[in-house]
Amino acid sequence: MKPGNRVAFLAALFLLFFMYGQVSGAESSLRDSIYDMGPLKPIDSVLRVAPGEPAPDFTLPAISGKKVSLSSLKGRNVVISFVPAAWTPVCSDQWPGYGISRNFFEENDAVLLGITVDNLPTLHAWVNQMGNIWFEVLSDFWPHGEVASSYGLLRSDGTSERALIFIDREGIISDIYVSDINVRPPLEYIVTQLQKMK
Amino acid sequence: MRIWLSIILVILIAGLCSLSAFAAAERTAEQLPAFELPVPGEEVHRTYLGLDGSSGTFNVADIKADIVLIELFSMYCPFCQEEAPLINELFELMNDLPESGPSVKIIGIGASNSEFEVNHFRTTYNVEFPMFPDQDMAIYKALSGAGTPGFIGVRLSEGEDPLIILRQSGGFHSKDDFLGQLIEFAEQ
Repeated sequence: MKPGNRVAFLAALFLLFFMYGQVSGAESSLRDSIYDMGPLKPIDSVLRVAPGEPAPDFTLPAISGKKVSLSSLKGRNVVISFVPAAWTPVCSDQWPGYGISRNFFEENDAVLLGITVDNLPTLHAWVNQMGNIWFEVLSDFWPHGEVASSYGLLRSDGTSERALIFIDREGIISDIYVSDINVRPPLEYIVTQLQKMK
Repeated sequence: MRIWLSIILVILIAGLCSLSAFAAAERTAEQLPAFELPVPGEEVHRTYLGLDGSSGTFNVADIKADIVLIELFSMYCPFCQEEAPLINELFELMNDLPESGPSVKIIGIGASNSEFEVNHFRTTYNVEFPMFPDQDMAIYKALSGAGTPGFIGVRLSEGEDPLIILRQSGGFHSKDDFLGQLIEFAEQ
């Protein structure tokens, strides 16, 4: 092939890939990549913390490259969203909802942290595919599920529960919501708890 | 040189054909399953749907339109979020249709969404058409929904049961083409 033709050929291929990317890329990739494990045991762990107790501190790596310590957030309200695993159906339909709910957290001076037991590269790929995730996403991969375990949220299969932990400005747990793993917690529950913490 | 130009042309045409296939709506002819929706509290929505508000619930056949498009969405679905501005444009396009042709209206069904979540979605994206929560997914299941966003086109004709004439799983990419297809399917 002559150099000019080669350039035209490559340009055509690039154009095609670009068009596919625009039209179907993200939508089909995320849908096709979800692994459905079917209905699971609703709750498979026993809480080790309770409202009124200090929240166990932790330091975890985030996909942003930071290391995030709970203790460094004292003075602000904190909501931790534990989700069981990346690339699973309900989880992939939970954080994107928080993606358009930033206002509720900001209005109540609350920091949202997302935590799973997946490793950083997996979380990076998953979060990129979901898009619009504005909060820090932390990896509780190693030692595996140590933070989830300290809250009593590590399931027997190594995933975590689907749970929300509300922590006040003093670092005290104000509320815990452990959801049926197969069901997403309603947004209004978060908003109600945030308003109580204000 | 000509051979390579031909090959490039064939690749582009093949690509465009498969591209349009991805976004294609499915033509169908199924009876619309029966389900009831609450009459909207906002007068602007009651007026849009042509409901007098004398009853607490209504069904799709009560909507004053020739064609009703049902959008299956979820506040949590990132693709529904991405698609929301385009659907708002589709709503405007429906409103601008000439009076001489069929009237088309749209409603949204929030699959597994609470009323709060549906309202948050509406507020976030300035959605002006009526949207209804379907927290237990009863309507979604009755309609045999296949993911969000999804679209179900229903033809309403006097003396006939409402007929599903279009199904589409996933978003559309041209509001004009999609609306044209919806009307075309309803006319056949």
